[in-house]
Amino acid sequence: MSRYALTVAVLGVLVLTLAIVSLAAGPAGIGVLQGLSDMLHGRETIAATIIGQIRLPRMILALLVGGTLGLSGAALQGLVRNPLADPGVLGISGCGALGAVLVFYTGVSAVWAPALPLAALSGVGLATLLLLALTRGGTLVLVLAGAALGSMSAALLALTLNLVPSPYASYEIMHWLMGSLSRASLHDVLIALPGLLIGSAFLLGTGRSLDALTLGEDVAHTMGFSLRAVQWRVVIGTALAVGSGVAVAGGIGFIGLVMPHLLRPFVGARPSRLLLPSVLGGAALLLAADLFVRLPVSGTELQLGVVTSLIGTPVFFWQVWRLRGRPV
Amino acid sequence: MILQTDTLSLTLQGNKLLHDITLDVRPGEVLGVIGPNGVGKSTLLRVMAGLLRPETGRVLLDGQDLFSMPPDQRGRHLAYLPQDAPAAIGMSVRDVVTLGRLPHRRTASAEQDMAAVQQALNAVGMSAFSNRSCVSLSGGERARVLLARALAVQAPLLLADEPVAALDPAQALTVMELFNRYAAQGQAVAVVLHDLALAARFCTRIAVLSEGALVSIGTPSDVLTDALFAEVYGVAVRRCGEVAVPWSLVSRNRVL
Repeated sequence: MSRYALTVAVLGVLVLTLAIVSLAAGPAGIGVLQGLSDMLHGRETIAATIIGQIRLPRMILALLVGGTLGLSGAALQGLVRNPLADPGVLGISGCGALGAVLVFYTGVSAVWAPALPLAALSGVGLATLLLLALTRGGTLVLVLAGAALGSMSAALLALTLNLVPSPYASYEIMHWLMGSLSRASLHDVLIALPGLLIGSAFLLGTGRSLDALTLGEDVAHTMGFSLRAVQWRVVIGTALAVGSGVAVAGGIGFIGLVMPHLLRPFVGARPSRLLLPSVLGGAALLLAADLFVRLPVSGTELQLGVVTSLIGTPVFFWQVWRLRGRPV
Repeated sequence: MILQTDTLSLTLQGNKLLHDITLDVRPGEVLGVIGPNGVGKSTLLRVMAGLLRPETGRVLLDGQDLFSMPPDQRGRHLAYLPQDAPAAIGMSVRDVVTLGRLPHRRTASAEQDMAAVQQALNAVGMSAFSNRSCVSLSGGERARVLLARALAVQAPLLLADEPVAALDPAQALTVMELFNRYAAQGQAVAVVLHDLALAARFCTRIAVLSEGALVSIGTPSDVLTDALFAEVYGVAVRRCGEVAVPWSLVSRNRVL
């Protein structure tokens, strides 16, 4: 078995195990199999309600949102050929959150439910396009453009917080921005599912083009790959996947940054070989983080985005440490 | 496969970069493209590779217009080796060379791909390094890996932009010999060079550019005249019989 196949197999088993644990873990001592069976047979038992309404949506969203965040990080890093690329670091998720917050608190999403994911993915799409337009200058310009986008979305979010009518509403926004799956419902799954799946399909299809791009845009072009086509695929894929994820789970950062770095030692640096393992790794990380926040540590449930950021920041520092002193 | 350019002209941002260039690169030959800095050698090569569309004129590959050819097909017909290598590729040497097989992804078998990659690695003497990461290689070694990537395409036409600029004399000789062997198999090679001694020795024909125009094309002895050096490069030459120039390898093992 090749190293790649072994890594994928190990990650697959890990994701499956975590998914089962995620269904089983919780304060209500119910049987998972019994609950699933009741749910599938339409029996309205407590176990069926807890599994079907609470734990299953939460598990599915942790799996899919984590997976797509890992995937979009791997695809973005391949596209801009920069190990610091990540939807969170580059301000892309922030712009998605801004879009979502705007429709959330203007009340549009209460009238028309799809407005929430649509606004989030418009924010993500616009941010990604703006970044691509600005980043022909290389690493420094990319990081600066990302910082500018991040600051802009943070400023506008702060303005929104400033203007919301009630303290309760601003608490809600803050809570949502920190990222959480604690209130995930079947309705959230239905809202996010199409974007997460279609976005992932777009991103998974970019492998060979990203491989060719490692040799530079000119060589990729002479080998029959169009830079414009792969850019569009990554922009649309990231917008759909990250936008849908942000819409239902709020701001969950650093998974896209961390996963490719953790996996490169196992599968190598070829972008196409990072895509699938990053999906599985991202899913495993978010499932694990979501299990961790459910531990009754201090009586208060930690926010998911806080935990992923605490895991991700050291990796970010490590990258910066490695890049120090290199000419930009 | 023969590549022809027919009255190519190109103006970018008000600068006339290429002017009425008509030439061909024939199977079995190494065509050297020479000229002072900034006269359009790399631009010409980029047009020939399909990267820049000429304003007027055409590029024909066996009579077929290069810019209307399906990208996949064009990718199999020509391999392009740019002047500037990507700064850091974290992949292994073998992985990078394997990328050269991407244009054949729908037409070649895995065995054909592996054979082509191995052949290219052997040709540049990098087989022993095949599992090393490119980041750990020297500039010269990396240049050879990227050359192997271009060779792995096994295209009938190879376009190389200053491939020996980063190499020491022994490696430069090795690469030029490699181009000669490639051409001897019936393939066509066009190579931008600054080292006129290498151009004179290894090129079948030489094309001289000056200010975006083709001023001369022919065999090295016809083209590299004292008058041309004075006119194109603005230098007077003296033929020094006694001066030592790198000529052949003492030991191939030491280089590769």
